[in-house]
Amino acid sequence: MPRVVALYNIKGGVGKTSAAVNLAWLAAAGGARVLLWDLDPQGAATYLLRIKPKVKGGARKLVGGKSDVSALLKGTDHERLDLLPGDFSYRNMDLELGDVKRPTKGLARVLTPLGRNYDYVLLDCPPAISLASESIFGAADVLLVPLIPSPLSLRTYDQLRRFIAEEVSKPPQILAFFSMVDGRKRMHHEVIAELSTKDAGLLAAAIPAASDVERMALERRVLAQFAPRSRAGKAYEALWSELAERL
Amino acid sequence: MTAESLHLLLPEGLSASAVADTLAGEVPVVTQKAHAVERTFWDTFDGRLHAAGLALIAAGGRLVLADATTYDEHAAETLRRGVARLLATDFAPGPLRERIAPLIEMRAVAPVARVRSRQLPVNVLDDIGKIVVRLRVEEPTAIAGEQRIALQPRLHIVGVLGYERAYEEVHALLTGAMGLVSTIRPVQDDAVAALGGFVGGASSKLRLQLQAAERSDLAAVAVLRRLLEVIELNLPGTLQDTDSEFLHDLRVAVRRSRALQRELRDVFAPEPLRAFRDGFKELQRVTGPTRDLDVQLLEFDELAAGLPEGAGGDVAPLRQLLEDRLVVERRAMVRALESDRTRGLLDNWSAFLDELPRDGAASGPAAGTAIGDIAGERIAKVYRRMVKMGSAIDDSTPAEALHELRKQGKELRYLLEFFASLYPAAVVKPMVASLKQLQDVLGRFQDREVQAELLRSLGDEIAALEGGATALMAMGVLVARLGEEQARARTEFADSFAAFAAKSQRKLVEQTFGCRG
Repeated sequence: MPRVVALYNIKGGVGKTSAAVNLAWLAAAGGARVLLWDLDPQGAATYLLRIKPKVKGGARKLVGGKSDVSALLKGTDHERLDLLPGDFSYRNMDLELGDVKRPTKGLARVLTPLGRNYDYVLLDCPPAISLASESIFGAADVLLVPLIPSPLSLRTYDQLRRFIAEEVSKPPQILAFFSMVDGRKRMHHEVIAELSTKDAGLLAAAIPAASDVERMALERRVLAQFAPRSRAGKAYEALWSELAERL
Repeated sequence: MTAESLHLLLPEGLSASAVADTLAGEVPVVTQKAHAVERTFWDTFDGRLHAAGLALIAAGGRLVLADATTYDEHAAETLRRGVARLLATDFAPGPLRERIAPLIEMRAVAPVARVRSRQLPVNVLDDIGKIVVRLRVEEPTAIAGEQRIALQPRLHIVGVLGYERAYEEVHALLTGAMGLVSTIRPVQDDAVAALGGFVGGASSKLRLQLQAAERSDLAAVAVLRRLLEVIELNLPGTLQDTDSEFLHDLRVAVRRSRALQRELRDVFAPEPLRAFRDGFKELQRVTGPTRDLDVQLLEFDELAAGLPEGAGGDVAPLRQLLEDRLVVERRAMVRALESDRTRGLLDNWSAFLDELPRDGAASGPAAGTAIGDIAGERIAKVYRRMVKMGSAIDDSTPAEALHELRKQGKELRYLLEFFASLYPAAVVKPMVASLKQLQDVLGRFQDREVQAELLRSLGDEIAALEGGATALMAMGVLVARLGEEQARARTEFADSFAAFAAKSQRKLVEQTFGCRG
């Protein structure tokens, strides 16, 4: 069965999508067969991969077990990376999951028929903590949490860890990495230094706040395609190799 | 997930760049940099991976088991440098070995073709620049030593999941307007054929098509010529010890040749035949001890599994002794097979078979008789002999009588194989099936006796070795177990013989092989 990694944070705008598409691509480039599921109704990962954000039957049929999920997949520009696209109907994911039996297993059930075809499944998750999030926790082996090095961000991270420890019956492993790091800000250095001593789940690789990452939306390509040797490109490579060792 | 894919052959004179240019005129494409790929394809001598629709590909220091046409990877491992052949046990424990071991069994995999290809990837894009179809133009060259043979260029189309319509459009363009023809034959088959090898592996099967009215000397030559081919085919692998099956197939072909020399002796003049029969007998003799030891070692693990749990290692000195003996016997066999005497025998036999139809002095009294008449008579005669011998066997009959019956069974099996094409398959197949069942029982009966006898004969030698006493005790357990298995085979004899010699079967044999009662 594939290892399922969910890029997750309660907060938005922390670099989940950028990390999801770059890590998925790097995993495929390393020889693995990878599926990326864009769970965000905004469909940003889908857009970056030049694919139409449309899932026939929408969230209702998908989590209701009425869709042939393999027919919904789209190949990307990397031959070992496939995408289950985002769809605007995912905004109702909580409602749809509420209508099925054992909703916390709802997303895992969608992935079951695809199991043997992939080595890794990456989930690009929408921000918030909701029923859909609990279903993500039920499907994921690892929650990979991008953290902006700020006190408020760490507070949210603490809330998340507490929630998972207290409320989730089979909690996924939690790993985190710093994202959008600005080397000129003293506070970023301080927060990184503080958490590094406290959290064994914190990965050493950190993604810089870089214009190359923003350019991805303009290029509609991942960094490995247009700026593999850039600072951010190398940082994602380091992050993937560190993550792969933990998986 | 796997998308659709297809191979198309490029017509002569159409280059990779011309294909790319033509495509670019019709659909948005991006052509990537051409690169060279070198792959060596491995298989067993008899093409077991090919038969399973697989390809074992060595490239870039890796050994990859893949689908033979799509090259989708199933399992892989690192390939050590300088390795010329691999038995199942040579693979590292893991998915590749698990997948390959049941397919190749005792056979070794070794390189069968080396192909260097210039590959030009061309991607078809949609209106926002996303890849919707992948194409790869391949210009392959087969390589063997200094030899280079250009193979027919091909174009691989691979669809992208979710973009099936684009695949259909590009496929229609290539096969319609551009006139390319699809092929299911993978490039490695082209390479093997171009290099003069056997596509799908070399077969030791007879595969003969004889006519009942054919002269017996011509039919005999056809069978014996094919058997000589099989001997020559398996000789290099036997000498190099590529795997134990080369010697097995060589010995079967020698034994079959001897059976035919014996059964159709009236087709040949007595004198040249006698010398050849002696020569083949000698060939059988010099290869016997090595084959016996091969069998002992191939079956060793199964045999040792009969020991109580945890005692399997006790017989390690026995295995070592058998391996040491094999080295000595193999050396003697190789010397004999490489001798002028063996070469002379095979060359003279070949010349004799060439000359026989033209040389009246080499022919016997039955040379001109229709093979249908002789073959039926021989089959019925051996069958009747077996029925008579088997009917006389009861619980008190000495083991030798069962061994003799087994020998006759082999003779009958060979006759049926030689002349199967002369008779209805509906008769031959069930007859072979019941014979095979009987032979299995007789074979088990004799093999267990031979194995037990070997263990007993090694007792003194084992006892003198370090750890010998423990090994000896374990061997005692094995001898007892072999005795039980032999006794069980004997109890199964009555049933399998009854099926073989059933009244309906006897009647069918008389009707089909048209014989005097």
